Amino acid sequence: MILQTLEHVSTTEVADRTGWTAKPEGMCRGEICVPAPGALRDNGTVDINVMANRLGMPLLHDDNTGVWALGPATATGRALSTAAAADPEFIDRNGHPFRLSSLRGRKVLLVAWSSY
Amino acid sequence: MVTVALDVNPEHAHPFIDAAAPTHPSLIDTTHATGDLFGFVNVPMAVWIDEEGNLVRPAEAASIERSPMRDMDIPDGLPERLDRAFREIKKFPEVSDEYRAAIVDWAHNGAASKFALSTDEVVQRSQPRPDTHARAAACFEMGQHLLRTVSHEAAVPWWREAHALFPENWTYKRQAWTLITTPADATENDLMQGPNDVYEGNWLDDVIAGGGGEAYSVVPQL
Repeated sequence: MILQTLEHVSTTEVADRTGWTAKPEGMCRGEICVPAPGALRDNGTVDINVMANRLGMPLLHDDNTGVWALGPATATGRALSTAAAADPEFIDRNGHPFRLSSLRGRKVLLVAWSSY
Repeated sequence: MVTVALDVNPEHAHPFIDAAAPTHPSLIDTTHATGDLFGFVNVPMAVWIDEEGNLVRPAEAASIERSPMRDMDIPDGLPERLDRAFREIKKFPEVSDEYRAAIVDWAHNGAASKFALSTDEVVQRSQPRPDTHARAAACFEMGQHLLRTVSHEAAVPWWREAHALFPENWTYKRQAWTLITTPADATENDLMQGPNDVYEGNWLDDVIAGGGGEAYSVVPQL
């Protein structure tokens, strides 16, 4: 997840890109919640430093541009923290947005490929 | 079926999508987020998602038909590196018939299919993610952002670190290499991804160092 600032990051933005939702009980994804006191601020934004610390997410900073990059969680030690499929917004061939949740109710075989 | 191209430049994926003229959703992942979110480290790989939006199989190599390259006779007199590349490709694990049959079984039987895993099994069978791999993912993402907003030169040090931290992630490496090794006037990305002056590795030498073609993919455990 790329962040221009660590301030004023919304729960929606975090959930959309990382799959983790900040709740009063902690950082949650699917059926699991990791206690993270302070991650959900009173103003409804996410304290990225707290979140990164609790979930074992690397947080990198590019000194030239001031941009941050938040890596994936290592809390479970596996690539998947939960079997609940993430639902980021993709673009299709024509640049239109698409979410896998639009196919809920159907089996989905998601196949990754590349031009290289 | 849904396909997703892990290409930082969506225009590189367009010709292939247009040629296939698919009737299924054909998506493009310009940030390689699917690596973070689903565990893709090479292509082709796939995950299976049930009707409730739960994964029933983690990311695995997703070949459904035997490649003709496996059975080809390697011509005599090829350049040494090309000859060796073909020999390594012929060593890729081959379970395409079994994997295709497993997909069909799941399509017909759903949760009752022996190939549909429990939620705990899906998580446990997903690839390990140590701190180094997570940092590699953050490095790669920083690089792709800088590629898009600053320059390829700005991305290089981040991508070099990603490659060093997570050498088993072929999408990080092949994406970066092809941007260097593909001639400016080419109509398709270079697939050989040979030695270059920007990144330490290249496809053939890294495949050999990683255990050869036999170790190149995450083989489905069926």
